[in-house]
Amino acid sequence: MGVAIVGSGLAGFTAYQALRRGGLEQGEIAVFGTEADPAATWRVRAAAIRQREMRSESDGHTRPATFPGLAFSSVRRRRSLRPLVESVCDRYHPTVDEFLAHVEERRERSGWDQSVRARRVERVEAVDGGLELDGEGPFAHVLVAPGHPGLAWPEELRIDPRAVHAYEPHGYASSVTVVGAGLAAATEWLNALAAGAEVVSVRRREPRRAPLNVPREYFSQRGLASFHRLAPGERAARLRDLLGASYPAGRRFDEPLERAAREGRFRVEQSVNGSEQVICATGFRRGFAHDPLLARLVTEHGLETVDGWIVLAPDGAVAALSDATRTLALAGAPAQWAFPAADTLAGARYAAHGFLRRIASCRTR
Amino acid sequence: MSYTLRGRIESRLAALLPVLVAALAIALSEHRWWPLQAVGLMLGAGLVLDTQAYHRVLRYQPGWAALPLGALELGLLVLLMHVTGVMAPLAQAIALFAGGWLAAQLLGHAAFPLLRLGYAEEGGELGRLGAAAAVLLGVGLAASASVAYALRPPVVHLAAGVHQGPLVITRREVLSGEPGAIVRGGIVVRANGVTIRNVSVVGGENGISIEGYRNTVLDHVSVSGAKLDGIHVRLGGVMIKDCSVDMLGNPLGQGIDISYNIGVGMSMVDGCNVVGGMNGIVTHSSMTEIARNHVSRTQIAGISMTEMSMGKIQSNEVRDALGVGINCGDRSMCEIRKNVVIGTRSDAAGGNKTRAGFGVEVLFGAEAELSGNDLTRNAATLGVFQSSLARRER
Repeated sequence: MGVAIVGSGLAGFTAYQALRRGGLEQGEIAVFGTEADPAATWRVRAAAIRQREMRSESDGHTRPATFPGLAFSSVRRRRSLRPLVESVCDRYHPTVDEFLAHVEERRERSGWDQSVRARRVERVEAVDGGLELDGEGPFAHVLVAPGHPGLAWPEELRIDPRAVHAYEPHGYASSVTVVGAGLAAATEWLNALAAGAEVVSVRRREPRRAPLNVPREYFSQRGLASFHRLAPGERAARLRDLLGASYPAGRRFDEPLERAAREGRFRVEQSVNGSEQVICATGFRRGFAHDPLLARLVTEHGLETVDGWIVLAPDGAVAALSDATRTLALAGAPAQWAFPAADTLAGARYAAHGFLRRIASCRTR
Repeated sequence: MSYTLRGRIESRLAALLPVLVAALAIALSEHRWWPLQAVGLMLGAGLVLDTQAYHRVLRYQPGWAALPLGALELGLLVLLMHVTGVMAPLAQAIALFAGGWLAAQLLGHAAFPLLRLGYAEEGGELGRLGAAAAVLLGVGLAASASVAYALRPPVVHLAAGVHQGPLVITRREVLSGEPGAIVRGGIVVRANGVTIRNVSVVGGENGISIEGYRNTVLDHVSVSGAKLDGIHVRLGGVMIKDCSVDMLGNPLGQGIDISYNIGVGMSMVDGCNVVGGMNGIVTHSSMTEIARNHVSRTQIAGISMTEMSMGKIQSNEVRDALGVGINCGDRSMCEIRKNVVIGTRSDAAGGNKTRAGFGVEVLFGAEAELSGNDLTRNAATLGVFQSSLARRER
């Protein structure tokens, strides 16, 4: 066994698709994770915020190549060319159901389930000949895609009985305060308004309006090349700036919010007031230290870190533990040091391509 | 897509490969240069736009931008073809561009991402594929040059002496006569792009006949003894330079007759010497430039531009014509400049006033602009009849 993926979520799943496309058989890839369904975690979160449409566009899928995008399957499903036209104009967003159907189809076709070993990995250790996972191995090439290290809670609300996190299942009270300014918060504003609630938005700063969660040039070498050249401190600052809360511009959000504001049902305040319910749309915890596997990896191998990010090569590999014979790479949110949008599907594909290139160029394979 | 500069260039070069192949096919099938010239212009204009404009202005290029950018590049291509004198059928040139544009879209959105998984995130860079595309394009252009060389028209040398005709030319070629080469019985052109050079033609129904073919060049040919016309052109484009046509003894034939070519562009008769015949040089429904010719002893008119023709009659010398020296007739539009008409004799004895020996005559709704003509030594100088218009310019 030469290749392992730690994490059975969407980032690991996307990497698995790329590896299969790259010529690896099911039996050559071991996937370690707690769920066989790669969308299990994501599905719960999407359902919690009643998400119906993806923020990503046609290429927001788990195939190894951007083509064909989800707009093509939507054309077949909807029997209309509209998805393609919208895709050309960057206005196509697959529905959550379309995306999940796509994941299910890829799961069956790729033999994913046969490669999954239902086990949580707690330790990655570099040894002669590769990397051991909880003593199993060694594996020549390991991709660690552990997902987000838990939900982020504002400290003052951690023990507040009114508080619920946006990504946890919840209903809506008659008065709701939503903390946060990203897409989840914006979605929750609309959800609570639609449920008849009076909504208060609490946020530290005005949200950025952007179609994707980072500017488009950072999805290609056009923007990445200069990002990769930044000094560590500047790069961390750039990352913090890029990863600030944002949600897309457009009438889908603006019209109901303006209408509700005119009716006195939506307003912005600086702090949490006396609402019956407080929804924390504050995303996820950030930094390797919150993930036990990564924290141990850093500690035991003395890996270089900057402001909570593990320093990575541009392709997402941990340079200190990778060479011509072995690879340790990260995918998903921990790979933001290499690719700011690493926690998106495009980011998962980027990490997968980098990992595949490393394997392809390995002289021991 | 957010292209890197290298990605833009590599993607463009790779996308031009099928266009080059198509252009080669068209060039080979039509024996024309323009498709390859057009590809060269597309490449040059595209690279300039990539490096000087697109890369600077477009940090991100949405899919829909391909339409206005394509329209811009098409306009630029048409302009460059006009400026550089590339003679291409516009519809075909647009079709070639449109096909290339469509191929570029299919390649950029589908084929390249499938061939190279990291195509999008690498900003359109194609790695080895890009380098291969550049090499292939270079090889393709070199091959194009070879094809161009191979497509040069073959030269057929006609030896000195008399060759029995009629000689029928059915392929694109250069027929080059050695001094003293004579074809008896006429030459019939039945192919586009034929050049006949330094050949004398004696006899024949028509001396040289071109019906329905384009791009014929007659260079230093001489014709005599034709039963009908000396040089007879119908529905074809022709350039006649430095010819000699002897129609003496044939009062009903035309020296040079170019008719019904209004849809095939401009023809030209330049530097010819025509003697005798009904008309020395005559055009019907044609666009023709008639310049620097010597015409004499004709029975109806020395030079006649008629039947809704358009063109220039310039710097010719017409001598001893009967009835009319230069005629612009039947709703034609003529520029008549710097001609010398001498010795035109009256043919009006039967009462036809239009045959009174005019140096220049404008007849039946025609319009002529005259300037710098010497018409003084004729039976009459200028005649304007039947709702025609003659404007004299200083």
